[in-house]
Amino acid sequence: MKRSTTIAVGVVTAAALALAGCGGGDDAAAPADGPVTLTLAGWSLSTTPEFQTLADAYHEVDPDVTIEVQEYDATNYDTQMTTDLAAGTAPDLYVQKNLKNFYTYQSGAQLADLSEVASTYDDSTAGLDFYAVDDGTYAIPYRQDAWYVYYNKDLFAQAGVPEPTGEWTWDDYAQTALDLQAGLDAAGSDAHGAYQHTWQSTVQGFALAQTPGADLASGDYSYMEPYYERSLRLQDEGAQVGFGTATTSSLTYQTEFGTQQAAMMPMGSWYVATLLAQQESGEADEFSWGIAPAPQYDDSTFDAPVTFADPTGIGLNPAVDDAKRAAAEDFLAFVGGEEAALALAEIGITPAYTSDAVTEAFFGLEGVPTDDLSRFTFAESEARPENPVSVSTTVVQNILGEAHTEIMSESSPVDPVLEEAGSRVESEAPTS
Amino acid sequence: MTTETATRGRRRGRVALRRSVTGWSFILPNFLGFGLLTLVPVVALFYIAFTSWNAFGTAPFVGLDNFRRLVGDGSFHVALLNTLYYSALHIPLTLGLALGLAVLLNTKLRGVAFFRTAAFFPYITSIVAIAAVWNMLYSPEVGPINQVLTSIGVDDPPGWTTSAQWSMPAVIVVGVWREMGYYMILFLAGLQTIPRELYEAARVDGASAWQRFRNVTLPGLRPTTFFVVVILTIGSLKVFDLILVLTDGGPGRSTLVLSQYIFQKGFEEYQFGYASAISIVLFLLCVLVTVVQFVINRRRDA
Repeated sequence: MKRSTTIAVGVVTAAALALAGCGGGDDAAAPADGPVTLTLAGWSLSTTPEFQTLADAYHEVDPDVTIEVQEYDATNYDTQMTTDLAAGTAPDLYVQKNLKNFYTYQSGAQLADLSEVASTYDDSTAGLDFYAVDDGTYAIPYRQDAWYVYYNKDLFAQAGVPEPTGEWTWDDYAQTALDLQAGLDAAGSDAHGAYQHTWQSTVQGFALAQTPGADLASGDYSYMEPYYERSLRLQDEGAQVGFGTATTSSLTYQTEFGTQQAAMMPMGSWYVATLLAQQESGEADEFSWGIAPAPQYDDSTFDAPVTFADPTGIGLNPAVDDAKRAAAEDFLAFVGGEEAALALAEIGITPAYTSDAVTEAFFGLEGVPTDDLSRFTFAESEARPENPVSVSTTVVQNILGEAHTEIMSESSPVDPVLEEAGSRVESEAPTS
Repeated sequence: MTTETATRGRRRGRVALRRSVTGWSFILPNFLGFGLLTLVPVVALFYIAFTSWNAFGTAPFVGLDNFRRLVGDGSFHVALLNTLYYSALHIPLTLGLALGLAVLLNTKLRGVAFFRTAAFFPYITSIVAIAAVWNMLYSPEVGPINQVLTSIGVDDPPGWTTSAQWSMPAVIVVGVWREMGYYMILFLAGLQTIPRELYEAARVDGASAWQRFRNVTLPGLRPTTFFVVVILTIGSLKVFDLILVLTDGGPGRSTLVLSQYIFQKGFEEYQFGYASAISIVLFLLCVLVTVVQFVINRRRDA
């Protein structure tokens, strides 16, 4: 099933490229209603098929429009895009990889206002608000990730610990990690109770999204303290690999969870597709797993669990001419809708548009855990942005990233580091 | 008479012209690349530093604002001090070890070529691989270094790259280990130029090995040492890749250096104006130190 999908995608890609080759010649003279070729920026195309999927799905809807995906480097995407935009050689449409750099593009007048396109969408498309600045909307989300807890059912059984109920606070999560560790040790297993990856978002993302009144730009980061205390406790008691070991050994979360080194792990929804692919290729072990909602701040949000992740959206280069602009807007009116969402769900991407049909399509993937809790987690998680759009976000996140390594390496106690980060934000972050 | 001189003069002029054209044409390919890709951006830098350019659109002129901001920027101070900390240890250690290795490997020793190659190897190894391997060695719980330390009775071994106190020494060790082979080669070349007769004469006069080293080797290596110190200083002040891959400036800001701060402000936060201002400070620092070294060298020559 999976392999045939890949082949199908490949065949369609080849066809699309051939068509692009035919259509490319009379590009400039094309009338608005004739064939149009648009360019779309993407990254790591061989392992990230979503851009081509969107392009192909739209080409089926409107055969007059061909979308060519241009490849950029995944790590340096924003740097390369900034350069191309400044040089005037950027593609017609480009993906907003995260919200952190969205402000730079928008305030630098590198994104066209898409208010009219946005008005065609309703509440089913998540994340539109995050791209709204003043009266305009500057990108259309097609994908909305969310952080879940991935858990290994086999290791839970081995440790004799009950599986997640879907009603966990962070204290329940920490206690479960400790219980798992004790159970796994007793069973003679080398695995850890939990794995927390080295990114700052594994602590700060949850703290910001879940704590009432938390504000990234405020300069007051005391709300992160309980989240850090719990992480430090788990690493001190050996229920998760220490931060120092994880950084110095360059541990990857795919290996930690995929080869059963940890019984559970908070991670973004993109990992579902990766884990499926790695289990099929043999890079990851065969074991039974599931996804549970992110542990909550308190019990008031159990029915709609709050979590975090930035949306991924597509913006329009304001330099495109009118003929292309109309076609591009039609494409953007498509990417956040149900048809695009179905195509994306079929390759394991979590679309911005949610509906029962999309959930069905996602759980129709071979190997996806289909238990009720996994379905509930996918359908009901409410993701808040990791990088709320503001002039200071990049600077603040850099400062907090340094605070994260200082706290997790246990170089300094939590409180003073967070306080210092706060005073640094006040003196270093731009306010306008 | 006069016409003859004039003709000769003109001919000499033509020869000089042809010579300089030939000369220019030889350096042109390199100079063209240098001018286009290095010189022009460097000159532009001096303008951008006085603007608040963010990569898009025009660059508004802000006068000395960026430099005023530097004075009160705590992170800049941290980065500057860390750069000086790195240089203060990295330069003498690399210099000493490179010289020591060169003297050692200049003797007729069985397998000397092997040891020379071994010492040079770190320099040509990919820095990413170096960082991965050293990070594993440094790993606080499972790394071999701390396992050895624990086994010889050190109760509380340092956290190396995962501790704010020890990360800089850890980075310096890797920096010295990586670069000493390169400077060793330069010293080896310098040692070949010292005439054997000087050593023989010294030996006849009854000079000990240490006296021969101090009074023959060191003075003979003066030009090489000067060159090495200048290159080493500039390299240390603008250290970047090693720290980026080894610690990424962390934990906290404990290994944040100027080059990395420039990268952060420019390519992560898109404050190209401010990043350019920091670059100018780093540039002036390099120029200042180099000029001082030249002055000292000239005074000693005199």
